[in-house]
Amino acid sequence: MRKLISLFISLAVLVPAWGGASAQQRRREGAARTEPNAAAATETLIRNATVITVSRGTLANTDILIRNGKIAGVGQNLKAGERARVIDATGKYVMPGIVDAHSHSMSDAINEGTLSVTSMVRIRDVLNPTAPNLYRELAGGVTTLNILHGSANTIGGQNTVVKIKYGRPVAEFIFPGAPPGIKFALGENVKQASRTLQPGQTRRYPATRMGQEEVLRDAFTRARNYKRTWDEHRAAVAQGGRNLIPPRRDLQLEPLVEILEGKRLVHAHCYRADEIIMLLNLADDFGFKIKTLQHVLEGYKVAKEIAAHGAGASSFADSWGYKIEAYDAIPYNAAVMVRAGVIVSINSDSDERARRLNIEAAKMMKYGDLSEDEALRLITLNPAIQLGVQDRVGSIDVGKDADLAIWTAHPFSVYSRVETTFIDGDIFFDRQQDLARRPELERERQELLRAEANRPPAEGGAPPQPGAPRRRPTNHHDHDDVDHGEGDNNR
Amino acid sequence: MRIHPARRSRAASIFSLAFVVSLVAGLVAFAPSPLRVARAQRSAIDTYAITGARIVPVSGAEIPRGTVVIRGGLIAAVGANVPAPPDARIIDGTGLTIYPGLIDANTNLGMPASQQPRPATGGAGGVAAIIAAQQQATPAVSSPNSSQPVGLQPEILAADVVRPGGDQIEAARNAGLTAALTAPREGIFMGQSAVINLAAETPQQMIVRSPVALHVGFTPLRAGTYPGSLLGVFAAIRQMMLDAQRYREANAIYEKSPRGLRRPDQDKSLAALVPVLARQMPLVVYADRQRDIERALDLAQEFNVRLVIAGGAESWRVTERLAAAKVPVLLSLNYPRRTTAETPEADPDPVRVLRERANAPKTAARLAAAGVRFAFQSGGLSNMNDYLGNVSKSLDNGLARDEAVRALTLRAAEILGVEAQLGTIEVGKIANLTVTRGDLFARDRRITHVFIDGRPVDLRPVPPTPAGGQGRSLASGTWTLRVQLEGQPERSLTLTLQQETERLSGSIQGDLGSAQIANASVGASGDIKFTVPITTGTQTTEATFTGTISGNEMRGAVTTVGTGAGTFNGTRAGGGGGGGTTPPAATATPTPPPAAGEGTTPPPSE
Repeated sequence: MRKLISLFISLAVLVPAWGGASAQQRRREGAARTEPNAAAATETLIRNATVITVSRGTLANTDILIRNGKIAGVGQNLKAGERARVIDATGKYVMPGIVDAHSHSMSDAINEGTLSVTSMVRIRDVLNPTAPNLYRELAGGVTTLNILHGSANTIGGQNTVVKIKYGRPVAEFIFPGAPPGIKFALGENVKQASRTLQPGQTRRYPATRMGQEEVLRDAFTRARNYKRTWDEHRAAVAQGGRNLIPPRRDLQLEPLVEILEGKRLVHAHCYRADEIIMLLNLADDFGFKIKTLQHVLEGYKVAKEIAAHGAGASSFADSWGYKIEAYDAIPYNAAVMVRAGVIVSINSDSDERARRLNIEAAKMMKYGDLSEDEALRLITLNPAIQLGVQDRVGSIDVGKDADLAIWTAHPFSVYSRVETTFIDGDIFFDRQQDLARRPELERERQELLRAEANRPPAEGGAPPQPGAPRRRPTNHHDHDDVDHGEGDNNR
Repeated sequence: MRIHPARRSRAASIFSLAFVVSLVAGLVAFAPSPLRVARAQRSAIDTYAITGARIVPVSGAEIPRGTVVIRGGLIAAVGANVPAPPDARIIDGTGLTIYPGLIDANTNLGMPASQQPRPATGGAGGVAAIIAAQQQATPAVSSPNSSQPVGLQPEILAADVVRPGGDQIEAARNAGLTAALTAPREGIFMGQSAVINLAAETPQQMIVRSPVALHVGFTPLRAGTYPGSLLGVFAAIRQMMLDAQRYREANAIYEKSPRGLRRPDQDKSLAALVPVLARQMPLVVYADRQRDIERALDLAQEFNVRLVIAGGAESWRVTERLAAAKVPVLLSLNYPRRTTAETPEADPDPVRVLRERANAPKTAARLAAAGVRFAFQSGGLSNMNDYLGNVSKSLDNGLARDEAVRALTLRAAEILGVEAQLGTIEVGKIANLTVTRGDLFARDRRITHVFIDGRPVDLRPVPPTPAGGQGRSLASGTWTLRVQLEGQPERSLTLTLQQETERLSGSIQGDLGSAQIANASVGASGDIKFTVPITTGTQTTEATFTGTISGNEMRGAVTTVGTGAGTFNGTRAGGGGGGGTTPPAATATPTPPPAAGEGTTPPPSE
């Protein structure tokens, strides 16, 4: 028996979360695994739910058939194969997986703030698939995240859109086919006006909004020249030029060329109406589009201009007044922009808020009288459009990825909670499984505490030392403009 | 000299070295040679024979009882029936085991440290002062006329800055280590490492191979310099690799036909990356966490470079990729430990941390099972006694004994590209040997001899870890002993003892050689017993001391194997009896220990 327990525990060690062993691990453990993710279940039938499609309204007493990770059917009395996993969702709600257009959840570093233009850095390089917040977000019905660079500098790093396939290798998190993007930032965070400088440290340029515009114009002018240099070289090679030393590849300018060519989406952190207009004009001058304005708390003042440019807006529900450029914010911001024809989303920019984006969206029915469907779109289809993944996620429609969550009540109720979260048809959070696994974890803890390495040193060893108070990581990236705990990054 | 027939075929497999050995041996035997003269200037004795010992050659089957002959810094003969040459200094190896000299596969031994000025006291304190200090820190090593900032200078060579001597190198030798990979301490591109032997008078003599690998740390630069975050680290590495590719290409084009071409800038930082791109030199990337290991693998794949992982705490989670890419691991023996003596209930560790500690000693066996090549490294161990101790823990967790020996010797040599010189006991190889009483992994194992470049090194006691909570100590302290062996002049030696309850450890140093004591015990009434190898004339033998302690006096009898019996008596230096915690007085006028609460006020905690 003891052997069995230790086998059990060693398996638990191998599998950090039951939802996400790698394919190889699953093969190896075969019989030992009984959770619903077992390879046999390529089909799932969710029966008799209230289905919030977002694209086509809310359907009562409706089944959803999932096959090979895709939504294969939405309707009444759907049939599945004999081996299908069948879930009775009578009295429950199913909604599309929530898409968070502004997150820093699984990033081992947020800001490369040493330079004003850091387009060469990539969030993809620093993803941490084991961040516990990811699991908490799954428990809040979130399935897709836009992991962004911070706002320490005018042109930040390249973002990555991920699906929260918690427990899987990091490569499986990357949202397949999501267009590449980049973070820009304007305003107070970039000015770093409030930053205390150390002796001998010089203030990083720019220190004003004027400087921020200049940084952008300079960077895109350099990018144009860079593109021309390469075009000329390629032309010379094409004309039979030999012994030509190719130009230097510049990882800072390459993404900017992609922006100029319309191949890379710009997500721009901004607050004030004047800087928003500046950025839209600058983009028009250089011939590219801003995909989303992030935060954009004064968006309501220039909603028509934003709509005319075609930019999306990704904002907070009701956060305001937390710094000087947020004093003019109003909770009606999202609704005003929606009415002006802007694609609007509500984002978290916080590991904590990300778990309750459903409630953030619900607030928009109170502030500005958005309809239920309009409010639901703020956290599903609209952010999917902003990230260029609306063909894959954001609504419950046949052919889309089976990224959805089963809720115990309407997700706009504060009493509702997530029962099960699916991504590509696989379960990555299940409340019953989670509860069932807790005694097992406790057993493992007790076993581990008995392990040699976890015992306090024996007498005669190192003298007793007062334990350093354990600091729980707060990892609370509110508004992405406070320091992100990245040490010297912002300096 | 004679090469044992059984060894000939193996010697032939490294024929060039063996040829040199034979040649040198011939010259040594029949004619003076420049080599011999050079050696003679260093030491009159260059021939040793350890006889009657168990030999673990690693290259082949264990020899239960045999002889290893060392001549001119190299292994001259090894085998069961090898006679000791008449001119050899004989070491009686009865009861001893000879292993190839242990190799620490990654260290900073002999490397300079950066100068961190102390934060000015008074005025601005706290974090600001620390940051200011970091900014003013003098880097350990920097390359003149480099195109890159400190921390991104791959052209730095460990061989250019390594220094022999020092406590750390000595501690490594005392733990049985004979050679090590050493690399600069800091940076992203930290510099190129060297394999060094751990006993030499000059930096030049230390080097076995240089350069070995380019070492890389995913550590941001400080003080507001790009790259100042992990994000920037990868971008900076990627840009420099691309620049190096272009540098190689541009120079190739230019060299072919310089006329009409603008001359490419010379850049030694980029030039240093060219052998890496050409797969001639591996990258050693410091990575413990799974995701850092995966990042290193991704990087190596992106630029098609050879990779070695250093650290590797979570390498067992990545074995499939490591094995598929044939990436070896320099596995750290610095296992995480629970450091507080508080009850676990007082400050519960997360399960993740508990798992990490429990997994550390299991990693080696898991790598072996998955076919990932690995060698052990100290990984910044503070107490080198844990080096072999932690390997023993890996044995308890499923690592095969021969795999463990291999990971300490030949595997390290192979990964570091010195397998023709080090890692086994074979004729023609450098005579680095680690000799123990008891099995290498036994708890009561003792390192009795360490040979480096064919010369025995003095083994001094490892400074004891500060022991707390111990009671009265009868024996601890530094003793001066006078030893009278039958028919021999009186000899003097210094005996250092550390007592923990009834356990006793320590070492001798002086006219009878230097060695650590073993089988030591002290009773409550002061009866003391220990054994220690001693060197008289040309022979090393084991002596057993049995006696009594009375205050600061000690006296008793000595029995030896072969050289007869004798007596000893001695006194404790400084008269520091009974305390146990009082350090032996280092000067003639010892300062009294400060009274509690004065003199050593701890800094106020934050």
